[in-house]
Amino acid sequence: MKLISFRIHNYRSIIDSGWNDLSPDNITGIIGQNESGKTSILEALNSFYTGTVSEDILRGDMSLPVVSCCFEIDPGLAGKVLDEKELPPGVLKQIKSSRELCLTRIWDEDLGSRIKIGGQKMSALFDKHEKLNSEYQKKLHKKVDACLEKKDKAVQLYAEAEKDRKMLVQDIDRFRLLIAEEQKESKLKKGKDADKASLARLSKMEKDLAQSTGTLTRKKKELQLLKKEAEELTRNYKIAESSRQATIRLDTAIDVLESTYKELRDLQRIFNSIKYEIDRRGVKPELDKLNEKYVKALQEYDLANEDAIIKLNLAYKVAEGMTLTAAEREVESEKPHIDKYYSREEAGTAIFEHIPEFVLFEDFSSLLPNKIDLEDILGANREVEGMRAARNFLKLSGLTPSFFVEGSSRLLKQKIERLNRSITVDFQDFWRQQIGKRNKISISFEMEHYSQSHPEKSGYPYLEFWIKDRHERLYPKQRSRGVRWFLSFYLELKAAALSEHGKGMVLLIDEPGLSLHARAQEDVLKVFDYIKDRMQVIYSTHSPHLIDSKKIYRLLAVQREIEDKDSSETKIFNAKSLTAASADTLSPIYTLIGARLSEQQYIRQKNNVILEDISTYYYLSTILSLIELEKEVYLLPSSHISNVETLVNLLLGWGIDFIVLTGGNAKGLEIHNDLKQNLCRGDRKLEKKYLINMESFLSVEDFFSTLDFKKYVLHQRVGIPESNSIFLKDNRYSRAVLASNFMNEVQDNNMKFEDFDDETKENFMWLFRKLENILY
Amino acid sequence: MRGYYDFEQMNNIENNTGSVADAMEELERHKKEVTDSIEYAFLIQAALLPPNQQLERYLDEHFVLYLPRDIVSGDFYWLYPMDQWIYIAVADCTGHGVPGALMSILGISFLNEIMSKREFIKPNRILNLMREKVMKALHQTGARNESQDGMDIGLIALNRSTNELQYAGANNFLHYIRKGEIKQMKGDRMPIGISGIEEVSFSNHLITMHKGDIVYLFSDGFADQFGGKKGKKYKYRQFQSLLHSNSKRPMREQKELLLNEFLNWKGSYDQVDDILVMGLKI
Repeated sequence: MKLISFRIHNYRSIIDSGWNDLSPDNITGIIGQNESGKTSILEALNSFYTGTVSEDILRGDMSLPVVSCCFEIDPGLAGKVLDEKELPPGVLKQIKSSRELCLTRIWDEDLGSRIKIGGQKMSALFDKHEKLNSEYQKKLHKKVDACLEKKDKAVQLYAEAEKDRKMLVQDIDRFRLLIAEEQKESKLKKGKDADKASLARLSKMEKDLAQSTGTLTRKKKELQLLKKEAEELTRNYKIAESSRQATIRLDTAIDVLESTYKELRDLQRIFNSIKYEIDRRGVKPELDKLNEKYVKALQEYDLANEDAIIKLNLAYKVAEGMTLTAAEREVESEKPHIDKYYSREEAGTAIFEHIPEFVLFEDFSSLLPNKIDLEDILGANREVEGMRAARNFLKLSGLTPSFFVEGSSRLLKQKIERLNRSITVDFQDFWRQQIGKRNKISISFEMEHYSQSHPEKSGYPYLEFWIKDRHERLYPKQRSRGVRWFLSFYLELKAAALSEHGKGMVLLIDEPGLSLHARAQEDVLKVFDYIKDRMQVIYSTHSPHLIDSKKIYRLLAVQREIEDKDSSETKIFNAKSLTAASADTLSPIYTLIGARLSEQQYIRQKNNVILEDISTYYYLSTILSLIELEKEVYLLPSSHISNVETLVNLLLGWGIDFIVLTGGNAKGLEIHNDLKQNLCRGDRKLEKKYLINMESFLSVEDFFSTLDFKKYVLHQRVGIPESNSIFLKDNRYSRAVLASNFMNEVQDNNMKFEDFDDETKENFMWLFRKLENILY
Repeated sequence: MRGYYDFEQMNNIENNTGSVADAMEELERHKKEVTDSIEYAFLIQAALLPPNQQLERYLDEHFVLYLPRDIVSGDFYWLYPMDQWIYIAVADCTGHGVPGALMSILGISFLNEIMSKREFIKPNRILNLMREKVMKALHQTGARNESQDGMDIGLIALNRSTNELQYAGANNFLHYIRKGEIKQMKGDRMPIGISGIEEVSFSNHLITMHKGDIVYLFSDGFADQFGGKKGKKYKYRQFQSLLHSNSKRPMREQKELLLNEFLNWKGSYDQVDDILVMGLKI
C-alpha cells in the first residue's frame, strides 16, 4: 500500500488542510518559513500512525484532531484483509474502481483515538448500511418494548383489580361486623324508638352489604379475566422480559468496559512516562491487574452482547406470533448474534494493520548522541537526545535488554566489537556509493558504567559512541554535521529495513540535514532518490538545496493565512496552486531557480504556452502572426522536448501559469503522459487546463497539408505519402533550418493565412481553437 | 503494348536450326507462353476488381461496361463501402495492356491503403494522397527524362442515407442525368502523378443527388474510338448524347445499348484503348 494523500483537521495551527496529494515519485517536500506549520504536518502524520498526541497540539477551542490518509490499495489485498466478515454492499466495488482506501484517525476528549474507514463515498456506504442495521434493531426493540408494555399494563391492571377485591372483602367484613354490633345493641335497648332507628341503620347496612357482596362477585369474575390475561401475557412474553434483562446486562457491561478502559489507559500513560525501569516496576503489578480486569470486562461485554442479540431476536419473533420453539429454531439458523458485517471502525482497524509504517526522523532524537544511558534507550525516553538513533543501533545489533542486564560483560564486548565492524563496513559502502565520499569512516560504541563521580547514577550503564577516521577518534558531535546526519540516517534506514514486513514505509523527516552545508544537503536529496523505490519520503525544509528544480511537483508549500501572525491558520498549497503562495514561502524556489521571472515582459503571468522545440516556435509564431487570436498567447520554446519538464518546473516555481503543447509523436506523448501523472495526477480538469497534445499530428510540420508543406517549406516536388514530419526524419532534413526559412519567407513575401490550402488552415485552426479554450 | 521478348533466344533458334519453319513454330510456342502468362495475369487483375456480388450489395440499379483492349487493362474500377458512405472510382492508367495493368494494380493498392484507416476522407484528399504515393513510387520529382506515368481518375463518395455526393476528378468528368437533362461536373485538369505544372490540391465538389438521378463515370476509351463511316473518333460530345438518349432505359439495357453502339461504331477498326463506363442510378 502506498500513501497517496492526506488531510489534517485541528492539529496545532492546522484547522483543515484539505486533501493534499503526495508526489507520485515517492519524494514529497514541504517548504515554508519558520513556524509556518511544516513540522505540524509531519507530526500529524506520525500521530495518525502512532495514535498518540500530546495536549499541546490541541487548538485553543479544544476542537479535537482528525487525521486522514488515503492509500493506494490493490483490491485483491483489500479482499484478503477484510475476509473475516462481510462488507456493506458496494464497498468492494468502490475499492476496485478507485483502487484507493482512506483511513481516518479520530481522537476523543481523553486523547484516546480510533481508526475508521474514511473518504466520503466509502463512509457513506458504511453509514448507509449501519443506518439500515440500526433501523432494523430499532424495529425489533420497538416491537419487543410494545409487548412488554402490554404485559406490564395487564399485570398492573390485575394488581389493581386484586387490590380492589381485597378492599371489597374488607368492606364486606366491616359491614358484617357493624351489622352484628348493631343487632347486639338493638337487643339491649328494647325501646320502641330505639328499635326504629336501629332497624333503619341495620336495613342500610344490610343494603350496603348486599351491594358490596354483589360488587365483589362481579369483581371476582373480572379479576379472573385479568389474571388470566396477565398470566398469559407474562408467560408469552417471558422471552421479551428476558430480552429486557439481557439489555440491562449489556448496558452494565458497556459501562464497566468503558470505565476499565479509561482506568487502564490513564495508568498506561503514567507507566509510559516513568523514566526509570525501577520505578516502572512499582506500577507494573497494578497495571497487570487492571489489564486482567479489562480483559474480563471485554469477555463479559462479548457474552452480554451475544445474549442480548439472541434474546431480542427471539422476543421479536414471538411477538410476531411465532412459538418460542419455532423462534429458537429460526434464530439458530439465522445466527443474528454473529456480527456479520464490518463496521467502519472494524474495517479501518483491519486495513490499518497493512498500511506502511510511518517513521518520524527528527534531529533531536534521531541523531547519534555522544553518550546515552542504557536505561533511557531501553525505556525509549523521548526526552533524551539521540534516543531513537541509539535504539536503532541496538536494533541493528540484535542486543536485547536482558543481555545488558544479565549478560556476561566479556561476551557483550565481543558482540559490540563484531557489530562495530559490520556497521562500519556497511556504512562505508553507503557513504562511498550514495554520498560519493572516499574518506574512510568507522563507527564504534562502547558500554561503560557511571563512576562514583556521578553519585545519583553510580554503577548505571551507559553507551558511548565514536566516529573514527584515519587520524582521530571523536564523539559524533565533534564530527561534521554531515557525517553525523548521514550516519544516523543510515542507521534509521537499516533499522527500518529490519522491522519492515513488506508493508512499505513512510519516512517523515523534519528539516533533514538542518545546518548542513549546501553540498551535503544536495547529498541528502541523492539519498532520497536512492531510497525512493523502497520507501516514501516526506520531508520539511526551507533550504533551496533540498529542492530539485526539475521536480517542483514534489513540493507542498505551507504558510500562515496571515503571514506575520503565528496564531493564524496554516494553509497548504500544492504544486498546482503554488502561484497562490507568498513570495516568502516560495523563497527557497526563487533562490534555487533565479529571480521572479513573472516581473519581465517576455513571459507573462498567464497564457504562456511551452513548446517542445524551436522549430515548433518558428512555425507557430509565424502562423499566429498571420491570424488574430482573440486572446493573447506567449510562446515559450524549450531547447528540446526533453527539457519541457524543466521549463514546467521553472514556471511552477516562479508561480507562472502555463500550457504545455506536445507533439503526437512517441516522445511528445511520453512527456504529455508524464505531466498528466506528475503534474495533474490524473485530474481531468487539470489536464484540460495545462496540457494540449497534437494528437494525430506528430509534429508541428504535420499541420501543413503535404502540398503546402512542399510549396512553402520544402520547395521540392517529391511524393510524400507519409506525414511531413516522418518524411523530414527519414530524409534527415534540418527541421530548425526549414522552420527558420519558412518564417523569413512568410515575412518577406507578405503571405496571408488565406494563401494556405483548406487542409492547412483547418489543421492550424484546430490547434488554435484548443488553445483559445484554455487561454485567459 | 510493351512486353518482354527474348531476342537472343530467338536468334539462337534461327542460328541453330536454320529453318524458318522451325523458327515460326518456336515463335508460335513462345507467343502462346506469353499469352498464357497474360491470361493468367488477367485472372489476377479481375480478382482485384470489385466482384459482382459486392456491386449488387452496395449499389442500386447500375451497370459496368468493361472492355479491355488487350487481355489485361489499364482501366479499373474500385468500390469501398464505409459506414453510410460508398466510395466509387473509375480510373484510366497511362498505357494499356501489361504496363497499364501494372499501374492499375498500383492504383487499387494505393486506394485501399489510403482507406485502411477506416475514417471518412474527402475524395479530393484521397486524390492528393494518391498523387503523393504515385510520385514517390515512381520517383517523380519533375526532373527531365523521368517517368511521367500516372492515372486519370474520377472518384465519388456517396452517402447512402442522405444521397450527398462528393466528387473529385483527375482529368476526369462526372456526368449525371436529372429530370431528363444531362449535367456534368468538371474534375481538375491534372493527373494522379507528376505533370508539367506544380501540384495543387484537387477540388472537392459537393452535390445532393435526387432519387432517380443517374451518375456516369467513364474513361476516355469510348470517345477516342475510331470508326463509323469516315473512320473518325466517336468524340466526347457524341458519347454524352448517347448517354443522354439512353438514360430513360433500364440500366441493364443501357449497358447493352452502349456495347452495341460501340461495336457498330468500331466496325472493322481495332479497339484503340481500354473502355470503362459505369452507370449508377440513385
